[in-house]
Amino acid sequence: MSPRDSGDRPFIATCPFAVSNLTLDDAATLLLQLEPGDLPDLARLRDALTTLVFENRVPIGMQPHVARAARLLGTLVDGSAADTSAVFVDVSRAIEAAMALVDSGASGFTPAATVAVRDDADAATRAVPEVTAAVTPAVADVVPPAPAPSAVVHHVTEDRDLVDTLPDDTDLDLLGDFLTESMDSLAAAEAALLDLEADPANEEAVNTVFRAFHTVKGTSAFLGLGRIAAFAHEAESLLSRVRDHEIAYTRACAELSLASSDMLRALLEVVRDAASHGTVMRVPTGYSALLDALATYDPTHENAAHIQAVTHAVTPSSAPAPATVSPESPAPVKSETVTSAPVTSATVTSAPAAPSVASAPTEDATKRNATREAGGDATIRVRTDRLDRLIDMVGELVIAQSMIAGDTELDVRVQHELARKITHAGKIVRELQDLSMSMRMIELRPTFQKLARVVRDTAVKAGKEVTFSVAGDDVEIDRQLADLLGDPLVHMVRNAVDHGVERPDERVAAGKARTGSVRLHAYHASGNVVVELIDDGRGLHREKIVAKAIEKGLIESDKGMSDSEVFNLIFAPGFSTAEKVTDISGRGVGMDVVRRNLEAIRGRIDITSAPGQGTTFAIRLPLTLAVTDGMLVRVGQERYVVPTTNIHMSFRPEPSMLSSVVGKGEVVLLRGELMPIVRLHRLFDVPSANEDPMNGLLMIVGDAERRTALLVDELLGQQQVVAKSLGGALGKVAGVSGGAILGDGRVGLILDVAETLALANGHAAGAGRAALAA
Amino acid sequence: MSTAIPVLPAADARAGKYLTFFLGTEEYGLEILKVSEIIGMQPVTRVPRVPEFVRGVINLRGKVIPITDLRLKFDMPVVEGRDEVIIVVQMRGVQTGLVVDRVSEVVAIAPEEIEDAPAFGAGIRTEFLLGIGKTGGRVKLLVDIDRVLESSELAAIEHATSAA
Repeated sequence: MSPRDSGDRPFIATCPFAVSNLTLDDAATLLLQLEPGDLPDLARLRDALTTLVFENRVPIGMQPHVARAARLLGTLVDGSAADTSAVFVDVSRAIEAAMALVDSGASGFTPAATVAVRDDADAATRAVPEVTAAVTPAVADVVPPAPAPSAVVHHVTEDRDLVDTLPDDTDLDLLGDFLTESMDSLAAAEAALLDLEADPANEEAVNTVFRAFHTVKGTSAFLGLGRIAAFAHEAESLLSRVRDHEIAYTRACAELSLASSDMLRALLEVVRDAASHGTVMRVPTGYSALLDALATYDPTHENAAHIQAVTHAVTPSSAPAPATVSPESPAPVKSETVTSAPVTSATVTSAPAAPSVASAPTEDATKRNATREAGGDATIRVRTDRLDRLIDMVGELVIAQSMIAGDTELDVRVQHELARKITHAGKIVRELQDLSMSMRMIELRPTFQKLARVVRDTAVKAGKEVTFSVAGDDVEIDRQLADLLGDPLVHMVRNAVDHGVERPDERVAAGKARTGSVRLHAYHASGNVVVELIDDGRGLHREKIVAKAIEKGLIESDKGMSDSEVFNLIFAPGFSTAEKVTDISGRGVGMDVVRRNLEAIRGRIDITSAPGQGTTFAIRLPLTLAVTDGMLVRVGQERYVVPTTNIHMSFRPEPSMLSSVVGKGEVVLLRGELMPIVRLHRLFDVPSANEDPMNGLLMIVGDAERRTALLVDELLGQQQVVAKSLGGALGKVAGVSGGAILGDGRVGLILDVAETLALANGHAAGAGRAALAA
Repeated sequence: MSTAIPVLPAADARAGKYLTFFLGTEEYGLEILKVSEIIGMQPVTRVPRVPEFVRGVINLRGKVIPITDLRLKFDMPVVEGRDEVIIVVQMRGVQTGLVVDRVSEVVAIAPEEIEDAPAFGAGIRTEFLLGIGKTGGRVKLLVDIDRVLESSELAAIEHATSAA
């Protein structure tokens, strides 16, 4: 598992044409014999190189080069390369670069890495005086013994010698997003770990941590950050043992988990530095020890002292002094780091330089920030509250403009010059409105592009043959939604390839094309964006899901459950039908995360599937989170907005459908389903509302398990509204999620359906309070 | 209710400019620094399940703000069809509207013109008063708007009215 194991040279010369066992040397040889036009051979070579990377058959230091070669070959194969001969040259160079790492040392790549460290230390030597010269000349005294680290701090030498580089083709935007998201989820994980320590039985906390590690693992693997992925995998494995009650969450286990979280954060910091400076990524101190401790953790032979030593090594205070001198220090640098480690700094230098060293990172940080700010591009970041306010104001402008245009004082026949000006202003206002709404919108293309890679990588790992196609990637969606949609889609696409599409031989046996297909299709439908993920794989197996759900205690039997209800069980936490755990998917967090993330963005997911034909996941999303799709309803003189996602249907009941149940109030029978009726006017104490359900409308709301009919007077139409808070002074109002400015400038209340139903259930108490307020 | 007078700030802290308004024949004063604007009566959307003195919410140029009827708040009779204006106050970044009969003027009140609110005895609520200003030959009741709108006070009133 540890990447270091692959440091031994696995390069045995084999027949260059046995592609599956191809080595890097073979690849170089093969490449010499190929022309840019030999597409099938290039494709095979690409696959072989990809395998080399994924199976860790080349040392981790080489992987970026090999991966780059594979990616470039990919552009040749799929015809997206503009200049084929130039790309061909680049491929050769990438392979040469990888080979150079082998050639530079007899025992694999370690010496090469050491050279890199020393070079870097030299670079630090040169760089630091420039940075800190103004602070104190003493720094110069600290630096000269730079070659010392390998000799003096020998116990950390192996980690300090591990140096990674960012893959050449790293997408810095993606990387930035990944770093931000990962940092956030690690922060959540840490909080959950602390909860867990207080309450080891807290399954929700275990799941939170597990998901955080899982997401970091998946995304970092996708970005080619193999070391982080490997580490996260071990950390995740430990947590999964805890989750499955295989091991208890003991003190030692907690120490390890927290240290893992710290280590992941340190690794991410290193990546962040590397991305902003283009430097190598030096592995944080204690990495290998901690990785080993994670992999070999055994509660029965708990060696507390050992774990303590290992986990302690991760904390910043034990970072060796040379690290703090170097500008690319991997540890989370704090100025107190050095001063608290006088021993190591004394080892490195005879100068009593602690205070001046302490100032070096500070100076450096300032410089780093300056660099970042200078590197801005043609976009600016705007605080979302300002943007929201702008959108509010434009909305008001539209209302004000339509009020002027509709003013009775205005007589178009007489004042046509004025009317013309008003019309002109109206056009500008509408354009402004479109513009203000579009400021939050981005295309789905980047989100989808990310997935092409996921499909490919997953297919390679799982031994599947899959073509991936995309339609409608120019559909625009709120930026926030696009961000939040990314993760669920990654999980779903992985699942589709890993579990959905069959292996080539299975497909052939089933009379299907050898190559499976996974399609993403985005389109607009009634004010929503629908993203469909369609695979032509084996489809969902109803019986298997039912059996698993019963085994997991999720249901008792599938009696009376529709296919769609059964399929929805795959979204339950801990549910997974895959027989074995792979590092791709199949741990049963994926679909759980999917549903949570989608619900958080008011999305709905529907599954349709036919055995042997494939599965379609349809995600229905609002265009933007700022706008709620609502149905405007009237109750008495009041108007309420009911979010459309909550409404199943509305109808005017026949007398035969209504009945009352003793002590349980009114119910309506619709297509064999008995639903309670909630009179909104009673619940909200609205005067002069329609009392007779036959003259009003029943609106079916609520979730599948518990549907309820809301009695309203009439539907006024569908409307998109911008949800706003009712103002801090009012606090939380039960049953109302917020307010919206309606077309006439008045405020309409947006109903919180779940709360309203809860209120209705506790109506006796609620009525008492309402009476008191009246 | 309690007849204890709340701990008041020093007299000079209370001195300053006040926006005065009427509720019936009584004139009240509101610290001018807390007032953000005065607007005419707006169409109000009733909010269910809140105390009666919260008339509802209005649209203040794209912002939704709640409005409180001071007559109801002070247990004064509500006259149907009366003229009303809304004073928008801003406290701790939160805007709230106060419904009053009419606004009068802005007056500067000197420290020596302010007296503590006297204890009127049980049944008369003085905890919302900063003090009583005497200026221009008239008495102005200086309202402690923070206390009026404090949520704990909302609850207290609710209990008081239901007990009454």
